[in-house]
Amino acid sequence: MTAKKTDARLSAKDKKRLASMNPEEIAELKELIEFLKENGIGEFDLERGDLKVRLKFAGAGPQVDPSHLSQLAQFAAAQHAAALQPAVVAHVHPVGAPAHPAAAASSAPETATAAAPIDDEAGLHIVKSPIVGTFYESPSPGSPAFVKPGDMVEVGQVLCIVEAMKLMNEIESDAAGEIVKRFVTSGQPVEYGQKLFAVRPR
Amino acid sequence: MNFISAPIAGAFELETLNRELAGTPFAGRVRHFPTIDSTNTQAMREAEQAQESGTVYLADEQTGGRGRSAHEWHSAAGSGLYVSILLRPKIAPADVLWLSLAAGLAVQDAVRDITSLAPDIRWPNDLLLSGRKMGGILTELNAEVTRVRHAVIGIGLNVHQPSFPPELASLATSLKIETGQDWSRQDLLVALLHHLNQEVERLTAVHNLDVATADVRDRLSAGSTWIQGKQVTVTDTDTFSGVTDGLDARGFLRVRTPHGIRVVLSGGVREGAR
Repeated sequence: MTAKKTDARLSAKDKKRLASMNPEEIAELKELIEFLKENGIGEFDLERGDLKVRLKFAGAGPQVDPSHLSQLAQFAAAQHAAALQPAVVAHVHPVGAPAHPAAAASSAPETATAAAPIDDEAGLHIVKSPIVGTFYESPSPGSPAFVKPGDMVEVGQVLCIVEAMKLMNEIESDAAGEIVKRFVTSGQPVEYGQKLFAVRPR
Repeated sequence: MNFISAPIAGAFELETLNRELAGTPFAGRVRHFPTIDSTNTQAMREAEQAQESGTVYLADEQTGGRGRSAHEWHSAAGSGLYVSILLRPKIAPADVLWLSLAAGLAVQDAVRDITSLAPDIRWPNDLLLSGRKMGGILTELNAEVTRVRHAVIGIGLNVHQPSFPPELASLATSLKIETGQDWSRQDLLVALLHHLNQEVERLTAVHNLDVATADVRDRLSAGSTWIQGKQVTVTDTDTFSGVTDGLDARGFLRVRTPHGIRVVLSGGVREGAR
């Protein structure tokens, strides 16, 4: 299987179900998928009220290290606190062998599947957008960009602004190092969790 | 100085102000500046230095007041209410959008309480009287992906201006122009901060976010002529025209165009076709 974006294999029914989720839930789901991918966890069930999510990952993931399970519990707890929502029940089924993607895709309407990502950003820190909005590289039209590839940045240094509804969100770097890539162009709309910059940590 | 400044109409009385804010997080936290570059800039600076949530920055004059896309906000001495509020709400960054929308409702309620006028709200949160702008809100946020460090809600209201320069006259108005009366900035501020506090409390209450956001959406839809059925031209990443079609679940404005529904993330919305 070649790597595809998570959304690529959602059925129309899945998309409809996803559309009924609130933005926080979608955002958390995306973050959860990233977390599971990064840690090579093959299968994951989550129940929150009437929301049930089952994730199975295709592709040859590494054998799951049991220490990831405690991280996952911490992740679920952190999500719980951040979203001020009750009842996150996480059932974790680590599997060493890859699940069959077709079986996963047909198992339930709530199912989403994701292939293992191509890791061309190994060792890089990715700065992502905390809100939906419009990406701006500079504080005002015509002024110089906050940063450009090749610049060295410190933790807390403003990298860009994402604006929505006249809410200007200064995005700070949460890593010190060199800006090696900017993923978006000024004036472009960005989604929650979309990659903005890659930083090579110092 | 060669010129004698005119006395500022209805100067702020901080002691009274703090007393009238009792029961809110703003009591005892109002900082007044006769003149300042921008109350928002000051609030964002001090937020970095761990200033307390609930601190209110109040100015008689702003020399560098800002609007969206670095539009200047005309802030002559003593003529308007220029205030920024520093908050550290325990909500997800995306939900601060709701605070920004709710701030418009708080201003609308405050103006109604004090003057009996009912300003219209032009999405997301401009305040209009007779179709002209009497108030604007600019929110600035500093957040990590999942956590708000601080948010500053900046509000500018035109209060005492007897007129505006010709280039602004068709766009801007003041409470003085609309009613012929001078209204107390302090009374407006007290009402505004009490309403804002209620909005913040609702949106940050544990377990109630969905209810609170639906409530903001309902009240905005009811209190604004711009949310549904208004012919508008939007300048977002491009310019397009259509008819407004309500707010989506995140509070973004939907516009029905000949090419389908467009969702406005951040654009300027103006009345009329292109």
